[in-house]
Amino acid sequence: MSDADSGRVRDRLDALAERALDMTVVERFALAVASTALALFIGLLVVAASGYDPVAFLGYIFEGSFGDSNATARTLKFGTLAILTGVAVAIAFRAGVFNIGVQGQFVVGGFVTVVTILWLAPLLPESAVGGVALMLLGTGAGVLAGGAYAAFPGVLKAYAGANEIITTIMLNFIAVGAVGYLVEGPFRGEGNRAPNTARLPEYVSLPQVVFDSPDFSLVGFGVALVVVVGVAVVMARTRFGYDMVTSGYQLSAAAYSGVDAKRTVVSTMTFSGMVAGVAGAVFAIMVQGYYSDPGGIATYGFDAIAVSLLAANNPLGVVPAGLLFGGLDSAGTHIGINSDVPVQLIDGIIGLVVLFVAIPELFRMAARRTGLGGESR
Amino acid sequence: MSLSSYASRTRYRLGGGIAFVVAVLLALVALDVPLRAILTVGFAERSLRAASPIALAAVGGLYAEKSGVFNIGLEGFMIFGAVTTAAMAFVLGGDSPGQPDLWVGIVGAVVFCTLLSVVFATLLVRFRGNQIVAGLAVWFIGLGFGPFIAVLLWGNRNSPGLVSVRQVSIPVLSEIPVLGPVLFETSPLVWLALLVAVAAWVVLFRTKYGYWLQAAGENPEALDTAGIDVARVRFAAVVFSGALAGLGGAVLFAHAGSFNGTGDTMVNGRGWIAIVAYLFGNYNPLGAAGAAVLFGGLENLQIQFQTAGIAFPNKLMDLFPYVAVIAVLTVWGSTRMPSAVGEPYESED
Repeated sequence: MSDADSGRVRDRLDALAERALDMTVVERFALAVASTALALFIGLLVVAASGYDPVAFLGYIFEGSFGDSNATARTLKFGTLAILTGVAVAIAFRAGVFNIGVQGQFVVGGFVTVVTILWLAPLLPESAVGGVALMLLGTGAGVLAGGAYAAFPGVLKAYAGANEIITTIMLNFIAVGAVGYLVEGPFRGEGNRAPNTARLPEYVSLPQVVFDSPDFSLVGFGVALVVVVGVAVVMARTRFGYDMVTSGYQLSAAAYSGVDAKRTVVSTMTFSGMVAGVAGAVFAIMVQGYYSDPGGIATYGFDAIAVSLLAANNPLGVVPAGLLFGGLDSAGTHIGINSDVPVQLIDGIIGLVVLFVAIPELFRMAARRTGLGGESR
Repeated sequence: MSLSSYASRTRYRLGGGIAFVVAVLLALVALDVPLRAILTVGFAERSLRAASPIALAAVGGLYAEKSGVFNIGLEGFMIFGAVTTAAMAFVLGGDSPGQPDLWVGIVGAVVFCTLLSVVFATLLVRFRGNQIVAGLAVWFIGLGFGPFIAVLLWGNRNSPGLVSVRQVSIPVLSEIPVLGPVLFETSPLVWLALLVAVAAWVVLFRTKYGYWLQAAGENPEALDTAGIDVARVRFAAVVFSGALAGLGGAVLFAHAGSFNGTGDTMVNGRGWIAIVAYLFGNYNPLGAAGAAVLFGGLENLQIQFQTAGIAFPNKLMDLFPYVAVIAVLTVWGSTRMPSAVGEPYESED
């Protein structure tokens, strides 16, 4: 886009952002709840239309998300990933940059984490301390890789006008294909039948606290909360965060106050990709313990878009929204084991949530018609 | 922007495209790649087949954007088009549907996607939804419900082999060397895509409906003043784009013969590539179709490399179209989009 054109597009986005910011906190909360409820309701209609029992399905959702300690651990596991990827999306969306590529950054970050740990493991002592050092180094490498993989489309957007929505989606496909090739060939573990890397050493794992689960540790959830607080502080209390948020709110105002718009786009993308890298590292270390063909890994980076939008792109709001989606994903696993309803329905419901969040006007009108909420603007 | 600078920009773009293709060919010759083994008649025919779904979706997306609405949901509508065609052919013809079942399935998919896009257009135009987020949502809904339908019907995200469209050969014309087998002995859906692209060009640039459409995107106030309902023009354009993307998905299925719902489904980014195709084609339906052929060719390079004896990992070769999209956006990212895109129009009255 030429500068004039991109300026115009920016103005449109600014107008959209302004409309969103017009909403009060209560309105946003109501929108999130109404969107989720309506999406679930449509999901239940589909269940009934497909010849299954919607009441039993609803029961499975509650049972599968918080029914017992296993279900709760699973909800927290998926919640950890939804929160981390959700924060990554929120950083970019808040700054008016559409990073749809969190999935790709998550994959690249996780893969690099595993490769780094496998590469360094022979150099460090085989002990708990060595394990912690390896996890820190591996995560650091994953964060750098995720940041770099996001900085690339940021640079293309800032300096060549390439639409970041499309480039980041293409980079998702490329990350999945390229990492898929690497785990199948050059990085396949010795003697592995499946296209996986070698396993991480036993001592490279997070300790079990409260929950006894092979693929969840409360420490991982703690990491997610620490990242949330860190991001919230950066956004609210630093010059960098201020520049990002003002650019997202209104680009022209940001430019007047001396913000370099192009550099802000690149640094926003990098920051967002780094958080996606943390998510990738947590997934690799806590959940998998090796890296597999990413074509078979769930699309946490897409759910993250719904999580961030539900939270109105607020890092703190991502925690409850992420837990909600963790619960949905966890229920999906439970449904897959215990019922015949195709679990893909959960993905469809998540898509419906995204759709409804995009249309606040629909609910406003419904509220006016039914006399609820009553206030008109 | 003045007309002359527009023309020179188009020429520059066209020149750039041709220069790029020539440079690639020269590089291949310099590297001693057996060109004759790569540029075969079969390759041309396969490329056109692969290009048809992309071209159809691109023409649809182009109409929506010309009218001022960015339909980012093309990918989702394509998924619905593919799965609906497969499902209808299966319901009508069981495990071995015939050609009539397939054609009814294609028509059914277009009707279904038209209905879906009526809902989508209502949410965008009437309820002023966020075009980007709602469009992404259509993709996610397709990624969920497409495989959902497949699992309901076949117990698996992938359908069994069902039916692919029968190739048609025109007597006499198909005897012409090179052109004959490429154009006159192929899938009738390739002709359909070509016909749609030409018709779309004529309507857009030679009829009053086309001018309304362009005005809705460039200068909605003027159109409103002239007494034409901007919202209605946009509504129609969005519905048309959804229907064409659905047709694109149906064509994709009809060429493949089975539905694949693993990963990002069989559509696998073609809807996004369609958006880049019309940007690259500079919002011209014929240009968009030409760009689609380029992407269709990249999709099929794998087979050519194999027959030419060039060793290159398949998994990486599959990524060529995506890399090409990024290259196109980076070099030709400076497209001139209609000035009112993304802005909901609110009439004064």
